[in-house]
Amino acid sequence: MKVIRNCVAAAILLPAATAWAQEESEELSPEDLAAIEAATAEDAAALEETAPSAPEPAAGAPSESMNPDLSFIADFALAAFSDDEPDLQTGAHDPRDNGFTLQQLELWVGAAVDPYFRFDANLVFGLFGVEIEEAYATTLDLPAGLQARVGQFLTRFGRLNATHPHAWHFVDQPFALGRVFGGEGNRGLGVELSWLTPLPWYVELVGSVTDAAGDESARSFYGADDPGVESPLDFQYTAAVEQFFALSDDWSLYWGLSAALGPNPTGRDNRTEVYGTDLYLKWRPITYASDQEIAVQAEWLVRRRQVPEDVLTDVSGYAYVFWRFAERWGAGLRYEHGSPAYDLEGDRAQDYLDPEWTDHRHRVAANLTFWPTEFSRLRLQGAVDYPKWLDEPVWAGFLQAEFVTGAHGAHPF
Amino acid sequence: MRIVLLCLTTLLAVASEPRSAAADLKIVTTTSDLAAVAKEVGGDLVDVTPMALHTQDPHFVDARPHLALALSRADLLIAVGLGLEVGWLPTLQTGARNGDIQTGGRGFLDVSRHVDLLDVPRGRVDRSEGDIHPGGNPHFMLDPRRVERIARVIGRKMAELDPSHAAEYGQGAERFVQRLAAARRGWERRLASLRGTDVIAYHKSFPYLADWLGFEVVSHVEPRPGIPPNPRHVARVLVAARQHHVKIVLQESFYPESTSELVAERAGARLVRVPGGPDFRAGESYRDFMERVVRMLEQAARS
Repeated sequence: MKVIRNCVAAAILLPAATAWAQEESEELSPEDLAAIEAATAEDAAALEETAPSAPEPAAGAPSESMNPDLSFIADFALAAFSDDEPDLQTGAHDPRDNGFTLQQLELWVGAAVDPYFRFDANLVFGLFGVEIEEAYATTLDLPAGLQARVGQFLTRFGRLNATHPHAWHFVDQPFALGRVFGGEGNRGLGVELSWLTPLPWYVELVGSVTDAAGDESARSFYGADDPGVESPLDFQYTAAVEQFFALSDDWSLYWGLSAALGPNPTGRDNRTEVYGTDLYLKWRPITYASDQEIAVQAEWLVRRRQVPEDVLTDVSGYAYVFWRFAERWGAGLRYEHGSPAYDLEGDRAQDYLDPEWTDHRHRVAANLTFWPTEFSRLRLQGAVDYPKWLDEPVWAGFLQAEFVTGAHGAHPF
Repeated sequence: MRIVLLCLTTLLAVASEPRSAAADLKIVTTTSDLAAVAKEVGGDLVDVTPMALHTQDPHFVDARPHLALALSRADLLIAVGLGLEVGWLPTLQTGARNGDIQTGGRGFLDVSRHVDLLDVPRGRVDRSEGDIHPGGNPHFMLDPRRVERIARVIGRKMAELDPSHAAEYGQGAERFVQRLAAARRGWERRLASLRGTDVIAYHKSFPYLADWLGFEVVSHVEPRPGIPPNPRHVARVLVAARQHHVKIVLQESFYPESTSELVAERAGARLVRVPGGPDFRAGESYRDFMERVVRMLEQAARS
């Protein structure tokens, strides 16, 4: 019945509609225009009357409150190692033993402070305590493309260092970061200034000064020894140049160069220098409907440390590809390498931080990731780790579950 | 060292150069439909850059850094609001280092604050209901009546930021509204047969279109917003489609279409893939875009 009615209606309306369409394309007479104007004015007035000038505030909607945005991110893992002695994982949030691990329970808090600053904090709860991973204010309106951060923050050395496990494509942290900076990544209390240059493409220069102590966050600098600050040379200085190229709508390239300079505790005025480069190439088609995305990311670090009567040099890094092949599914493959430390002669030297690291180390990891929604994630990862100073490679399997509740955080690129 | 200094001085020289005076207002919009409206209202006085393409789901946009660069140089940022851009826009706003376009700044316009909203949840909500928008449904750009209002708001904002051309912006907005209202009357006539009919939609993208044209969305292919369809739910949708004699299945073109196609085919309905907005780069206006949508609906309603 409805079908017939619709057909009849269409039959009646069709000529009218076509006539209108034709008329619209032709010049309208002044009478038409006047009539239209009168009618639209009437409608506009009616709309003004019916539509409230401001939307009804939704009762209790979070956006209406002055509280900061809060979200909790929990990462749990189940791990199995072919041999969990010695512990080869270097990340503080990595699963390290057979069995269950609470990788982290992260509370993110963020809000605008006033028109000039916003404040963000990442408090990480472990089973045995709370840790202030980050707590910093960011300026929002400095002139000339400048921006400052003040507080405790992860330094913007390379690509992965400044991120939290939620943003990672693998269950664990590449060993390069743990080896050079410590399990928590490079961070400290300090000040950062960055400049978004006025060049036609995205070029950002970043410089920061942070304290150089912390076994888990600045181990190649003062690390566990904290002699205090007697001169500006007792701080860690970090500098980075970051460039982004929008190669096309679908292709993006991000390239960074970083350096971190600071003191180390092996002798008076002994310095550590870490240089790094990172590359991120991403393909995500947005010019047509697609859920696919492929990202390639690589980061390499060279570390030089003055030690009594010598200089130790080593290289470590990682490269991975992550392919999101369906709306809810992705897979990743990562390769990592860490060289032994070499002395000035080019011979292998004993590293005072990792005395066992006397040879090359290679690790390969692969994972399969399933996102029920963007707020939850299950990840199965397998890895084979081959530090050549051990007789046999170590195999590892991880199953990770992540849950995010609360405010929807904004993702950096 | 000398090279570094040279580079820095060059950069400073470029930095201190006055910004190009080609257009009076540099506007960045989150979506292409807002860009089309802003461009038509502001005409040659404005330079408009949309951040998301019309082929892209505006919920999931990568915060690509060159967008922050555009924002750092913008006088006005126009956003849909209601959390549509929450996953990416805040990163870009912070990275832009431009106080004007921060939320609450004088160059920030959240248009959702100026329309009457639908699907505003009452009471407490949480994500067990899917990825819902606690402030209300943000897909109002498909209702030309609301867009007429938005055009006036945009015109007023432009006049506020660039008072020397206030009259032009006001006229631009009025001209836009009148043309759109005239076209709207035509569309309403052509789609009068949709009034009172029942349709199926993929995502909750069409409450405003339904409100305007008087049809009813009886079921969604997504079991909950943002959750991909599963067979059990699709079976229910199909039953609903048959019970309600649904003739049209609606979805935005950036969503996967095989399930909607299946439902449409089995229910004897037509799948209408509504584009995500005007093709701004190709110069398509908001009216041309709506004309395209209306033609699709018209064809589907006729068959």
